[in-house]
Amino acid sequence: MFSKILRYGTIVAAIAGIYLMVQALQAQTKNQPVLGGDPPVMPPAKPFKQSVAATGILEALSENVAIGVPLPGLVTEVMVKVNDRVKKDQPLMKLDDRDLLAEQLSNKAQQEISRAQITVSEAQLAKLESQLQRLNSITDSRAVSRDELENRRQDVAVSQAQLAAAKAQLAASETAMERINLLIERLTVRAPREGTIIQVNVRAGEYAATSPKSPAMILGETERLQVRADIDEQNATRIRAGQAAFGYLKGDPTITFPLKFIRIEPYVIPKVSLTGSSTERVDTRVLQIIYSLDRPKDLPLYVGQQVDVFIEAPDRHRKQ
Amino acid sequence: MIGLALKMLFGDTAKYLMLVFGIFFATFLILQQLAIFCGLMLWTTSTLKNVNAPIYVVDPQVSQVNETTPMRDTDVARVRSVSNVRWAMPLFNGIQRVKLDNGAFKIIQLTGIDSASLAGAPATLVAGKLEDLRLPNTVIIDELAVNFLSSDPDKPIKVGDRFEINDIEARVVGIAESMRSFTGGPYVWTTYERALQYAPPQRKMLSAVIAAPMPGVTLEAAAAEIEKQTGLRAYVNRDFSFDAPDDFNTKTVFWFVKNTSIPISFGTTVIVGLIVGIAISCQTFYAFVLDNLKHLGALKAMGMSNFRLSMMLVIQSVTVGIIGFGIGLLATAGFTFSAIENGAPFFMPTIIPFAVFAAIQLICLFAASLGIIRLSLYEPAAVFRT
Repeated sequence: MFSKILRYGTIVAAIAGIYLMVQALQAQTKNQPVLGGDPPVMPPAKPFKQSVAATGILEALSENVAIGVPLPGLVTEVMVKVNDRVKKDQPLMKLDDRDLLAEQLSNKAQQEISRAQITVSEAQLAKLESQLQRLNSITDSRAVSRDELENRRQDVAVSQAQLAAAKAQLAASETAMERINLLIERLTVRAPREGTIIQVNVRAGEYAATSPKSPAMILGETERLQVRADIDEQNATRIRAGQAAFGYLKGDPTITFPLKFIRIEPYVIPKVSLTGSSTERVDTRVLQIIYSLDRPKDLPLYVGQQVDVFIEAPDRHRKQ
Repeated sequence: MIGLALKMLFGDTAKYLMLVFGIFFATFLILQQLAIFCGLMLWTTSTLKNVNAPIYVVDPQVSQVNETTPMRDTDVARVRSVSNVRWAMPLFNGIQRVKLDNGAFKIIQLTGIDSASLAGAPATLVAGKLEDLRLPNTVIIDELAVNFLSSDPDKPIKVGDRFEINDIEARVVGIAESMRSFTGGPYVWTTYERALQYAPPQRKMLSAVIAAPMPGVTLEAAAAEIEKQTGLRAYVNRDFSFDAPDDFNTKTVFWFVKNTSIPISFGTTVIVGLIVGIAISCQTFYAFVLDNLKHLGALKAMGMSNFRLSMMLVIQSVTVGIIGFGIGLLATAGFTFSAIENGAPFFMPTIIPFAVFAAIQLICLFAASLGIIRLSLYEPAAVFRT
């Protein structure tokens, strides 16, 4: 009886083993990640059969102007906001001019002094002139010595010169005032040309530096945009002027627009890397090509957005 | 004849159990060791399974997927410029340290994928949304990380929890299914740009370019074209296969086979299993034949041919082989289920049970042949002498 149970038990166990193993094999394949398939957002289809790919950035046409300040200083007033249209010479912001205003005050005082000086000199001259006139009016030549008369004459001449000097002093003060006014005027930064304010990096109370890396404002033309495409120097030989190109907005591959060739920048520059480390060594240089595009009517495009660019270019001739 | 053979076999319960046990033991040892070996080898290619991409383009010096020799950022555009390539996206891949809220450090496999297309994103999310990866300071973790990165075992990490990667905040927005990595760290996905911020800065940071071929172009043709045009090494990402030298899975597995002692360790155990199986089953079966020599001799004396007697022995040994193998499968299946449950390295390619079955049957036939030799030397007349 016991041996019978054992005998059938082993057979049942064996059959169960085969069945469970099949189940286990299926379970483990179910547990494996599925390979293949498209990415969650399908990248843009290539517009050309043979093309060079590049990454580009949207810029305002005729490049963005990084507005600089004439000298580093405290910003006291910012007159424009982002997106404002500005005309040429429209004031954009004002820097702290109190030191010059103080100078203006002392200059004003100086002018007062100069004016007083002129009055004194004029009075002096009038006194000396009247004295000379009195001596001249004496007809008896024995009453006044020739020496005395000559002295009086010289005194009048000296006094006249003093008056002229005092007037010159006033004129100098006035010129200095004009200079100070000009310097104060310089502290109001004006738009160098018509355009739109794309970025404002300073607020009243902040310190504006003259470093070209951190412009206080960026002025550009946002009605028409251009794309600056970076091409790896290894692909640069495939690029010719006038090749057709398409741009795809990074982040939304459904937004595509044709690009119009403007020019190839003749100077190959080191690639600006995303890591931003200051000690970075350069190992790639990129050729830059400029394309223009008309702002599509219903598409929001912004200056500074990254663009994937495909340029129609034949494959490099390969040795067989 | 079959009935007689089976009656003879089952008649001696102790010997029968001993035979079945020997075969069971050998089967279980060999199957389980081979499956753990395959599981471990599969873990070495987990990046290829978790980062979903048909083609991997890497530096020519890279010989397996866990190695990274960084490339330049513009190499993405160079791969994209190849005509046969449908798309090409950057990939960052590296081991980083994570600081938990109790101050402990754990290692993770940080994977940075393209933020626009999310190419290389995990295939299945159990929680959260893939698109949330575009929010600032966000990551997607895998199911292993849920407990691995939690400081309190009772509170697994959920969507919305935070930890630190190299002192930078990381907020969990999704939990993905993934395969465990060989290094033991969980997979953490983020965007390529953010991965560069998390990782300490290096001169070059791009680990690989992942790409897909144009429709109608085979993976191999596209990979060959990429290699020709860019001078980089392009691997296809298919499953392991012995005749695919350009497959990254195969290359990686062979790298581990060649450069680690893992196959020696598992191979030795498999050989021990075979030897134990052969020793136990041959010895027991031979003893079984000796015990039943009288009956077999009587049958022989009654005029049964040597061939029919041999077939009886073969039937007996094959029956033992099948039952022992079946019980071995039962144990292995139990092991498989618990391994799937616990995430242990365990993978059983379908071919292995069949191969082991053939090996076990060969052992049984060998044991039967020993019995057959003994039986053919036996004189039927000897039955009457005792």
